[in-house]
Amino acid sequence: MSYVELKNVCKKYKGNDKNSVTDFNLQIEEKEFIAFVGPSGCGKSTTLRMIAGFEDITSGELLIGNNRMNETAPADRGISMVFQNYALYPHMTVEKNISYGLKNMKVPTDEIKKKVDWAVQILGLEEYRYRKPKNLSGGQRQRVALGRAIVKNQKLFLMDEPLSNLDAKLRVSMRNEISKLHRSLGSTTIYVTHDQVEAMTMADRIVIMKDGVVQQVGKPMDLYEHPVNKFVAGFIGSPQMNFYDVTIKGNDMVFMDGKAFRLPDSVGERLKGREHVIMGIRGEDIKFDSSNLDIYADGRQKAVIDNTEIMGNENNLYFEFGGIASVARVSKYEVSQVGDEVEFVFMPHKMHFFDVETEQAIV
Amino acid sequence: MVTKKQRRNNWILTVVLLIVSLFFLFPVIWMLANSFKPDAAITADMNSLRAFVPPALNGSFLDNYISVITNTSFIKYMCNTLCYAVILIVLGVVVNGLAGYALAKIRFPFRERWLMIIMLLMIVPMETIITIHFLIIAKLGLLNTIIGYILPMVVNPFNIFLFRQVFVSLPDDVYEAAQLDHCGPLKYFFTMVLPMSKSVVATVSVFTFLNVWNDYLWPSLVFTSGDLLTAQIGLNAITSNENTTTGQTLAVITMVTIPVIIIYSFFSKQIVEGVVSTGSKEG
Amino acid sequence: MKKKKSDSLLGMAFFGPALVLLTIFLFLPMVLTLVFSFTDFFALNPSLTHFTGLENYFQIFKDEDFRQAFFNTVQFVIIIVPLQGLGALGLAMLINKVSHCKKYFKVAFFVPVVMSLAVVSTLWIQIYSPEGILNAILGVFGVSAQPFINSASQALPSIAIMSVWQGVGYQMIIFLGGIQAINPALYEAAEMDHATPWQKFRDITLPELKPLCVFVFITITIGAFRMLVQPMVMTGGGPSHSTYTVVYDIYETGTVNWEIGLASTMAIVFAFFVMILTVIQTVLTRDKEENHGNKKAKKK
Repeated sequence: MSYVELKNVCKKYKGNDKNSVTDFNLQIEEKEFIAFVGPSGCGKSTTLRMIAGFEDITSGELLIGNNRMNETAPADRGISMVFQNYALYPHMTVEKNISYGLKNMKVPTDEIKKKVDWAVQILGLEEYRYRKPKNLSGGQRQRVALGRAIVKNQKLFLMDEPLSNLDAKLRVSMRNEISKLHRSLGSTTIYVTHDQVEAMTMADRIVIMKDGVVQQVGKPMDLYEHPVNKFVAGFIGSPQMNFYDVTIKGNDMVFMDGKAFRLPDSVGERLKGREHVIMGIRGEDIKFDSSNLDIYADGRQKAVIDNTEIMGNENNLYFEFGGIASVARVSKYEVSQVGDEVEFVFMPHKMHFFDVETEQAIV
Repeated sequence: MVTKKQRRNNWILTVVLLIVSLFFLFPVIWMLANSFKPDAAITADMNSLRAFVPPALNGSFLDNYISVITNTSFIKYMCNTLCYAVILIVLGVVVNGLAGYALAKIRFPFRERWLMIIMLLMIVPMETIITIHFLIIAKLGLLNTIIGYILPMVVNPFNIFLFRQVFVSLPDDVYEAAQLDHCGPLKYFFTMVLPMSKSVVATVSVFTFLNVWNDYLWPSLVFTSGDLLTAQIGLNAITSNENTTTGQTLAVITMVTIPVIIIYSFFSKQIVEGVVSTGSKEG
Repeated sequence: MKKKKSDSLLGMAFFGPALVLLTIFLFLPMVLTLVFSFTDFFALNPSLTHFTGLENYFQIFKDEDFRQAFFNTVQFVIIIVPLQGLGALGLAMLINKVSHCKKYFKVAFFVPVVMSLAVVSTLWIQIYSPEGILNAILGVFGVSAQPFINSASQALPSIAIMSVWQGVGYQMIIFLGGIQAINPALYEAAEMDHATPWQKFRDITLPELKPLCVFVFITITIGAFRMLVQPMVMTGGGPSHSTYTVVYDIYETGTVNWEIGLASTMAIVFAFFVMILTVIQTVLTRDKEENHGNKKAKKK
């Protein structure tokens, strides 16, 4: 039985002729960690704010715990929320910030103290307990916001880009902490982010949105391996997937600059009857090592490296191929210099194909 | 880089300005110094520099003050005014603050129109409608009462506007977080909005105090007699009495001025902020 | 939909108390003033009120006292505005320049502002007294004793100068805020271009302060138009009506003679002048922005 359910939820702002969110359908299981991800303006935050009750639902239905919540006040929806800019009460100490909601809910004082002690301890805020938010660092403020959310024992957590104001290093460690917290509390979490890495690393399932429409819902690896359209394929994964406009002639795939590539029969079968398609391949599926060059010998291609990114654990190689700026990801042992001419092959079974018109995946 | 010449010019400038400021302040210095003197000494000192020096500290040093305090109800008038000021500060912050918050953050019908009207009301010269205030208060049977004095002074378009300008930049997500913490709008206003805007609350309070303390026209109309008078009206009654000596007059006006000087020295930052904000709203 | 409705209610609930008071003590008085200005409403005998059309408006301009008051008010404005405006600007520029005792200067020139009109007026009665300290000081410089507020020719300028003394600190603080808000890089750039101090003032300070100047001069003008308490306390409008002002006339006609109809007419005429000044101010400040726009457009 699902805990949160959105049925055909739409949002249309007054004065706009287009919907900001269109027909959002989703069932969220209890204890699940769901991430809404997409570029800015895709409607992910709006959807979250509709679930929280800060935005009216134009049409459709929101169920939490099987009860219709469309008209319920935010405070009565059984949710707690972490805001992008923390939204701490600036004139209250850490302790007061965390306990404020409990006090308003008329929780007995000794119980409040117990809960605050617990929250302060697991978030490592003991020594900042009597400080005010302006005397805390960004990471500490984020923890206070988390503390305020977790003491209320709500079953549903909403997080609106909670890490976007932190520096890169802190973001990684907070990512871990939030994941751990989620597991130990056992609450249902909806997490909004524009950062696909956060979504991939934290979520049980990811909802990818674009222009107010859900593109794909699935487990992180499903999205990575089986994107349903070109947008999802491009959004998930870094560096971005390489896309080539190609022409299919029998089993041959011809690039814009006339270079051809012979596809294996199984792959060619999928593309029967099509002339133009978009071929997508991830950087790590472009191979430079001799064993792969041998295996796919008749698919060997040549290109000149025009830039490299040395990451340490792996390297990104940039080159132009088929008239398209392309990037490949290689292990740290495969070193190339700018200006080198290199030989490589595309892994034919790792290729993704998309319709030129609809950009939907061809399966 | 400050050159030697610039530094010398700066010193000259400072000295010139110091002399100007002394000339500027001579009435205040004279008032303070002579409020401790009997009239004979005031006249005797008039033609020497002693006019600006307080007398020696002897038994009669505070005579003017003591006679004002014991022979008139002036202390009572000052206490009255203080009470009115406190009441008006509280009411003014609540009423104007709530209105400013509504204009800043709550979507209600004709909000922009109301804001325009408030801005237009700021230029209405109060002197022109004070007669009508008097008629209304008389009609309500509230002449010579505290309520009658206070009611027309509570609402102030300028303070509403000042509050609105500050509240409009408060973050919305704090309000949302408070909603999830079961904090209703009214509670939010008193426990969050006001404490988060201490500076403007202080500015409005200080200006309200100065307004009430220094107001002359309205209390002179509404209070017809006796016990309820404010300090300014009492001052006028005392100083226009034939029997009041010059020294006593100076003592009275010094006594009225001391509270505002104290307020000013504690809240000069808020006062300056308030003054500057009247300029920047147009700039 | 539901949320919108509750927002409207909440908004009106928050705005309501202020609105009730605004209605009773601002809107109603404004409407009443306008209505009364067309009647001969006499507060001590309201039952005899008639609609008199524009008669009041003709009458006040024929009235000797009102014309005198109007003339006096204009004189106050003519003396006070340049003295107080330029004085404030000059003081602000000097205080901005000095490196020592800055704080003291800011306080010293602001002290009279926080003193009440009644206090200042009472104090200056003593200062201006024939045997007073000012005459004593002038005596040191060989000037013979002046009658100041006791003479019909000197009373008005004496009160005007006292008003400048009290008010100048207020505008000084406004100008100081404006001067300090000017980007110092402008002066540094002018320094590079070998600008003299006078050029810096003319080409940077003045243009940057122009909107503020308009605002300050208009507020001083409106303030001078509102002159009332000082003559009331110091001279009672005398000697021989030489310090009687428009607002004083409104006040006396209304609350001493109880001729509310006539007082309302004066109030309307007075408010009309104040409004014209405010309109001038908005036009002047807007004009500047438009000129800016034109210059940019021409450059393109």
